[in-house]
Amino acid sequence: MLTEARFVALCRARARLAEPSAPSVAALADEAGLSTGRFIKQFAALHGATPYRYRVRARLARARALLARGDDVTEVCFALGYSSLGSFSDAFTRHVGRRPSAFRRARHTLVSVPGSLSAPGCFCLLGTAQAAISEKQRRDTGARLAP
Amino acid sequence: MRITLNGIPVDDQKRAQRFYTEVLGFETKHEIPLGPDVFWITLVTPGWHDDVELVLEPNDNPASQAFQAALFEQGIPMTAFEVDDVEAEHRRLEEAGVVFTKEPTEMGGTTLAVFSDTCGNLIQIFQPPS
Repeated sequence: MLTEARFVALCRARARLAEPSAPSVAALADEAGLSTGRFIKQFAALHGATPYRYRVRARLARARALLARGDDVTEVCFALGYSSLGSFSDAFTRHVGRRPSAFRRARHTLVSVPGSLSAPGCFCLLGTAQAAISEKQRRDTGARLAP
Repeated sequence: MRITLNGIPVDDQKRAQRFYTEVLGFETKHEIPLGPDVFWITLVTPGWHDDVELVLEPNDNPASQAFQAALFEQGIPMTAFEVDDVEAEHRRLEEAGVVFTKEPTEMGGTTLAVFSDTCGNLIQIFQPPS
């Protein structure tokens, strides 16, 4: 079990990794009073990703939010500190599964309150989900009844 | 009026689905893509398919993200699941690499423990008084 002090230190490290000018992993490990290896292991067990991966995820989450509200891909790229459009696009595609421009087009149409949400609250999606569930049930029933 | 859905925000729906099914042992009832990187995913207790479904909510809303992070940092569970034997679940989950922030503790006849779901939440498991 994590001690309370260690838990607090790992939470603090997570918050700092989400900052634009995040310290190095070694510096955060030092602040937490751990060796770098042990810090990485405990961080990953608690937060579900290594510190490096968490930092990438936090950066790309910000990218997703900006793209979803309709920001220009190039502006997002440089606002997040990427040195080239290619490296941003590759990192985004690797983690999100589609290119930033495609994500921007698709997600922007889903946004209900531009500038504040990159997706509606989940229960707002219930109607869409229910329609898909009903359609699937209808297809399944039709397939069973088909000769 | 009936309670049939409950929700929990997760920072990555697919990773959360793996954790909640492969580690915790719930079963997926619905998994429907709704848009880029957004799914309608609900889970049920094995053998209880017509019971309450747990919705794994995409946590893209900054307000929800702040709420989730604040609860986590204060050590407050986002939700709680009942178990038959907290000690046994605690052993099983620790062996699977799950990190607990509270060991099994008896409080007013109920035994409870708290762990990280690795998706931004602390989860409490509890064993009611027998």
